[in-house]
Amino acid sequence: MSNEELESQLSAMFDDELPATECELLARRLARDEQLRTRWGHYAAIGACIRGQPGVQLETALASKVSAAVKQEATATGVPAVGRQQRRFFNPWVTSIAGFASAAAVAALAILWMRNEGPARLAQNPPPPQPVAASTPVTVAPAPAQQLLAAAQPDPARLGSQPRRQSREPDSYVTPAAASEAPMLVPPTELANYIVAHSVYSGPLTRRNALSALVGGDAAVPQVNVQPAAVKVVTDK
Amino acid sequence: MTADASDLSLVQRVQRGDKGAFDVLVLKYQHKVVKLVMRYVRNPAEAEDIAQDAFIKAYRALPQFRGDSAFYTWLYRIAINTAKNAVVARDRNPVNFDLDLSDNEESYEMQGRLKDSETPEALVLTDEIRTTVNAAIANLPDDLRTAIVLRELEGLSYEEIAATMDCPVGTVRSRIFRAREAIDGRLREVFEGGLGRAEELG
Repeated sequence: MSNEELESQLSAMFDDELPATECELLARRLARDEQLRTRWGHYAAIGACIRGQPGVQLETALASKVSAAVKQEATATGVPAVGRQQRRFFNPWVTSIAGFASAAAVAALAILWMRNEGPARLAQNPPPPQPVAASTPVTVAPAPAQQLLAAAQPDPARLGSQPRRQSREPDSYVTPAAASEAPMLVPPTELANYIVAHSVYSGPLTRRNALSALVGGDAAVPQVNVQPAAVKVVTDK
Repeated sequence: MTADASDLSLVQRVQRGDKGAFDVLVLKYQHKVVKLVMRYVRNPAEAEDIAQDAFIKAYRALPQFRGDSAFYTWLYRIAINTAKNAVVARDRNPVNFDLDLSDNEESYEMQGRLKDSETPEALVLTDEIRTTVNAAIANLPDDLRTAIVLRELEGLSYEEIAATMDCPVGTVRSRIFRAREAIDGRLREVFEGGLGRAEELG
């Protein structure tokens, strides 16, 4: 590209009359070429003179001061503002820690809600009595609690001798049948199933504590009339 | 062709960390911004300080600029707000600006600093630039003079100038470029060639 062609483009760019694609290339050159920038500044001064603006100078102190201040800004921050903003939002450590914290908070709230809200609602809306076993009251919690705790113990021989199955399905687990059709008993039961099903991954003490707490919570539920055979142990051996 | 494409390409370069591109924007708009600020303050030195603040604020806010409006429209708003705030601040703290005209040496120096851009040398230089530009325009051929005046004074686009002068847009672009080159050439002769009247006066 000849010098004259380049300067012609510069003049058109100054007037916002250059196609965007050519602007890209010229802007890059303009930002680095001191001579072109001086000419650009002169175009601005010529325009200001024609418009009769006061105090027109070819090389102004204002431009130098702003340039120096902008350089200091960059030195002070180290990285451009745009990059800083993106790094702040896309830091993988921050993202993963925040995600983990959110998930833990949601899980804790869900457990608290199930433990506190379930029995309370049940007390307010007791389930309708079963027509068949209406005369046989049964306390639900104690019996499955023993079986739950027994089934939750990992079998060291089996764990040690057999390779872990690909499906990560435990060898056996206990599913206490619902004492009634009341929906309020479902959350603790599901939670117990979950804990037992994942017993391979938790320590025995933690698991026992969790199950004890669940059993204790179930025991606090008022007695209801249910079918005696509603509680059963299921193993898949 | 996109409106404001040249400013946008420079803004994008600044957003990618190219500080030189911001210098180019300052060179282009400094006269307009100072003139704008002088609607609020009469002192040219104060106007320059405010314009400087406005440019620095614009630089800091540039990462948030998305090109929804023209760059100058955006800069215009920043400059207006900066000027208004400066006027309010000055009214609250008049002691910072109304200097005591005593014989105190410090006050004398401060007064000199504030009026730095209005020194006799600066005023003469400004006058000399204006005279040189006007003389160069007067010496231009009619078609070049008409094109540059329609562009700079009337603010017409190339298409509107082409319609006015009954010629192709490419011819308008060429005429404006040649007019600028002729005027700039004369300015260089006077102020950079070592033979200018400004230096003789200095």
